Amino acid sequence: MPDVILKNLPFLLHGLWLTVELSAWSIVLGTLLGLLVGTIRFVRVPVLNVLAAIYVEFIRGTPLLVVLFITYFALPALFGYRTTAYRAAIFGFVLFIAAYLAEDFRAGLRAVRPTLIQAGLATGLTRWQVLRHIILPQAIRRVLPSLFNQYVRLIKFTSVASVIGVTELTGAGLLINARDFHPVKILATIAIVYLVVCSALSLAGRALYAQFGVRT
Amino acid sequence: MTDQPIIAIRDLHKSYGPAKVLRGCSLSIARGEVVVVCGPSGSGKSTLIKCINGLEGYQSGSILVDGIEVGAKGSDLPKLRARIGMVFQHFELYPHMSVLNNIALAQVHVLKRTRAVAHERARELLTRVGLQDKADAIPADLSGGQQQRVAIARALALDPQAILFDEPTSALDPEMIHEVLQVMTELASSGMTMVVVTHEMGFARSVADRIVFMDAGEIVEDASSDAFFTTPRTQRAAEFLSKILAH
Repeated sequence: MPDVILKNLPFLLHGLWLTVELSAWSIVLGTLLGLLVGTIRFVRVPVLNVLAAIYVEFIRGTPLLVVLFITYFALPALFGYRTTAYRAAIFGFVLFIAAYLAEDFRAGLRAVRPTLIQAGLATGLTRWQVLRHIILPQAIRRVLPSLFNQYVRLIKFTSVASVIGVTELTGAGLLINARDFHPVKILATIAIVYLVVCSALSLAGRALYAQFGVRT
Repeated sequence: MTDQPIIAIRDLHKSYGPAKVLRGCSLSIARGEVVVVCGPSGSGKSTLIKCINGLEGYQSGSILVDGIEVGAKGSDLPKLRARIGMVFQHFELYPHMSVLNNIALAQVHVLKRTRAVAHERARELLTRVGLQDKADAIPADLSGGQQQRVAIARALALDPQAILFDEPTSALDPEMIHEVLQVMTELASSGMTMVVVTHEMGFARSVADRIVFMDAGEIVEDASSDAFFTTPRTQRAAEFLSKILAH
């Protein structure tokens, strides 16, 4: 391992830890929000449906960096609350990733055969029970690959948090480079670490799909 | 009131936009009766039986199931549907669940049976349809005939007062039709009220009490099985029979 990496290992590991933390929170909260928004759009809940559509379109048309600026600078100024770069970053990532996940969930929900829904209704289940026990479980299992695709993208996106001052993996590397200036060694190391983390998540996704994917 | 028909349809009209699917159908089904509904495709057979449990709406007329108006605003459709089982052409088993859970789901969530009781009942019914060893299989691992027998068990699990069959053998390979018809025949002889949309004229002839022949959204004939097959009253029914029995 190059000297510059060894010397700064604790700092880099802390950066990696922050990256993992940011990703984990964003994935968990973003998935919940995405599922909620996707379901609202699928069921066409009055009013909420329109708000959900506007939200999704807004996020999809906005660069991630701008979303982070909004959650770090604009929203606190607008609503008069205090935040930290770390929390603003998670907030931004959740908003960002949930919009894409919502579309994936919605696609999965719409892929469930209407006659299968009729079969559930015919046994006396209510619409809500059919959604909860028949449509959602299938939709979620079916979109697992797309979800993990988004999660892997998100891990790489968390590097953008360095711009608002979060010293996650990329931020930590940039700081070390500013002091010691070994761009090739430092950036190569960081790139490999991202690759390992992303591949691990990708593999986990495949294993999960192999276990729970719906065969028809 | 056991002499009151379990299903009473009166002057039912339904259309999709300008297309009239049902034009004034009336049909009454008594408890324990087995009625086969046949007719050319597009004649409204499936639509008619889907109206009975409210899966399809209708514009005018009335359907009373056990004395309750299906189309009325305040009708508790889930409760009503739990009393009328339905078996579909393409089985429609829940693909993400084991066979056992397919049969248990509505028992637990509609009838509020405990999971243990629901599973016990499910196993009992699987034995009845000859699939006791498939409880833990998932639908994709079963043949079409087996899936349809599970679907029948799923309908039976709610102890329904009648079961609607929407072309239950049309999606099956010929060698599997028999096993499904056998379960249905057994069911009929146990006294279950059944309304069966089917092209299986052999089944109709030997099992049905009555045959309802539909064409172009109308009930053209409503006759006892014997009368329908030996002396159809209308030209349309005679033509249909000659086509379907020709081979």
